[in-house]
Amino acid sequence: MPTMRRAVPWLVRHVTAAGAIASGVLFSSCDKSITDLEPLPPLAAASVDAAAGNWQTIVLTSANQVAVAAPAAVTSDAYKAEIAAVKVAQATLTSAQRAKIDYWAGGGVLRWNQVLRGLVAKYNLPPAPRADGSYVFPDANNPFGDPAFPFANPPYAARAYSYIAVAQYEALKAAWFYKYQYNRAAPAKIDAGIQALMPVSDLPSYPSEDAVLAGVTVAMLQTLFPAAVEEATLRGADQREAAWLTGKATSSDLAAGLALGRSVATLVLARMTTDGTGNAVGNATLWAALADGARARGETPWLSLEMPARPPMLPAFGAVRTWSMTPVELIAARPAAPYPTASPEMKAEVAEVRRTTEKLTREQRAIAQRWNDGAGTYTPPGHWNDIAADHIRDAKFSEVRAARAFALLNMAMHDASVACWEAKFTYFNPRPSQLDPAIRTDIGLPNFPAYPSGHSTFSAAASEVLGYLFPSESANFRVMADEAGMSRLYGGIHYRLDIDEGKAHGNRVAAYTLRFAQSDRAQ
Amino acid sequence: MVVLLAGITSVAEAQSFDDAIFMDKRVLCAGLVYTREQWTDYWEGTLKRDNGNIGTVTTQQGAFMTAYGITGRLNLIASLPYVSTKASQGVLQGQRGSQDLSVGIKYTALSTPLTSAGRLHLIGVAAFSLPTTEYTADFYPMSIGSRSKRATGRALLSFQGRNGVYVNASGAYTRRGNVMLDRPAYYTNGQLFLSDEVRMPDVRDMMLTVGYQRRGLVVPVTVTQQRTLGGGDIRRQDMPFVSNRMNFTRLDARVQYTLPRLSGVVLHAGGSRILDGRNVGQATSAMVGLLLAGKL
Repeated sequence: MPTMRRAVPWLVRHVTAAGAIASGVLFSSCDKSITDLEPLPPLAAASVDAAAGNWQTIVLTSANQVAVAAPAAVTSDAYKAEIAAVKVAQATLTSAQRAKIDYWAGGGVLRWNQVLRGLVAKYNLPPAPRADGSYVFPDANNPFGDPAFPFANPPYAARAYSYIAVAQYEALKAAWFYKYQYNRAAPAKIDAGIQALMPVSDLPSYPSEDAVLAGVTVAMLQTLFPAAVEEATLRGADQREAAWLTGKATSSDLAAGLALGRSVATLVLARMTTDGTGNAVGNATLWAALADGARARGETPWLSLEMPARPPMLPAFGAVRTWSMTPVELIAARPAAPYPTASPEMKAEVAEVRRTTEKLTREQRAIAQRWNDGAGTYTPPGHWNDIAADHIRDAKFSEVRAARAFALLNMAMHDASVACWEAKFTYFNPRPSQLDPAIRTDIGLPNFPAYPSGHSTFSAAASEVLGYLFPSESANFRVMADEAGMSRLYGGIHYRLDIDEGKAHGNRVAAYTLRFAQSDRAQ
Repeated sequence: MVVLLAGITSVAEAQSFDDAIFMDKRVLCAGLVYTREQWTDYWEGTLKRDNGNIGTVTTQQGAFMTAYGITGRLNLIASLPYVSTKASQGVLQGQRGSQDLSVGIKYTALSTPLTSAGRLHLIGVAAFSLPTTEYTADFYPMSIGSRSKRATGRALLSFQGRNGVYVNASGAYTRRGNVMLDRPAYYTNGQLFLSDEVRMPDVRDMMLTVGYQRRGLVVPVTVTQQRTLGGGDIRRQDMPFVSNRMNFTRLDARVQYTLPRLSGVVLHAGGSRILDGRNVGQATSAMVGLLLAGKL
């Protein structure tokens, strides 16, 4: 054994050897970078969609409902000064500016859709119970409180995705109308001294589509996600700066676009803020009446299984205004009543859920989690936006066509959400774990009635619209929608009937959206 | 070696991967250790709370442990736990399964008299862990583990007094590989990630043990401080997530006794309590173990 005097060189030798082994162990695989499943390469649109100013509007009475004044001539001193300013900026580009260009080159509609999914995931958390077991509802006037506003649950999210997509779509159609009315080419096309740092097409630049998108989206987010207004405003400014730096737009293109976007948002918000969502939470009298109604029909009413019990999620959301269905059509499309809770058919449904959850395979558990889209996520509508984004990117849609795709998809999902909630609170049917407390779930149990399955309704509606937009992929979308539906049985939170009827319901709802899509002069 | 909301690898492994005990040359020690851990309160970020939707979460673990003396100063160690979780309230399904296989080597780099009172040992440990099954890491707090491949390096300084009192101080760094989820996006640490891959922050821990050993009896009391070097907090009323910043300070005490008439039979018993934490349950645990040792 070494003595202390001998120990020092001996120690150095051994510790060095041990250290070499340890570092080899610790740092052998150093790459921890995360795979981005939705990279957005610079958007070079397959077509400029020059006729989009003539496509059917949804909220606006016409594409030129909001007036946009004629721009200064390209020969004017004012415009020449704007061109000169772009050249100066391009000559002194910073790395931060390059990062903004790289980010926004991926396409404004696609980027804002990613941002929106992030906001939904951020705000999709239910209020925590208070010490006395009660719950406080989120307050739009106190968005930074606890609970934060909003609780971006699936109906709230579906509505938000749809209103933002429609507002963008309306604003871009208006922009296209004026672009081709005034026909002012992009700075990089007008002046050879300006580089096109993003793909710059023959699309006229006045008003700037990037500024239109920034203006309309930030204004919508201000109402839908008021606590995120600062983040959204900064992003909107970045988007405009990127368009300016890359030779896509001059300052007057941007100013006109920003104003147009904001004006369109005002018109769309007027519809949104009077759509009935303000009453969707209901009150204690309504919640009791729902349970009493089910009992009066001889049914076991739905009960919250949360502890402490939580009021049901947005019980009056079924009365919210849809995009493509009248209230009469909404009721007509409603699925027939589920099996009575005491019937042998229902017992068989419950037994199937229990059997499935008790013998769940690894693949079934993976499916349950793949489509879980529960609290803290971008919700099922967000998942379908995620799926759509890949196809929209790969198809190289112009900004206005991308906005149309997201608008149609999200109009159908909002209508599916309203229709589904109307049916859920008509029937007020219990979840499997309520009828058989031995049923354990592999995902969170949603706090609202079971029948029909929201996932199935959303997914069927989404897959029908995506199949219309991307016909070669339609079979694949249906497979995904079926898997999304079945994931709820695997998760232990839905009966098979909820899934089958929800899917059929979603198909019926999508037909109304597709009826609009087929005559919008865009396909 | 990384204690999570559900999963108690540390207590059971403590007798091998992070202590100063060595098997003599060609001695094999193997056995089973059972640990039961429970928590009702947990830290949601830094906010301590309970949750009626889970009640009390119980994690049980049966671990197979083995250590072998390649030489008296170089030991090979391995462990494989089977873990099951259960919540006392709510509807969430408990999970169970074979968790992560850990294999490591422990090496005495230096052993020298220090004053007349005792000896000082400098010990290095290098260990790998890898999941043995495809259990889900995306169902905290019910998941049985993180599904992360891990590599740990530990340096341990041990002073063993002639009077039986000993003091161990060690520090470890654990590198953790990314974890794959079954979903294409997740939100954590203030950001939506459009990926099924989760970057796992590394972990460091420090342990201080004061113990007493005499005639087959070893009684260590240990304070462990684990710090996760990154990761987000559990958001208000959200579920925990695999890459959360899981920190804790834990006190544990153990008795290890080698039967006088059956020198190859070692009994273990012990308990632990989390004193303070972040994104972990305030767990209390108890363990018992039986190991058999003999010369090959």
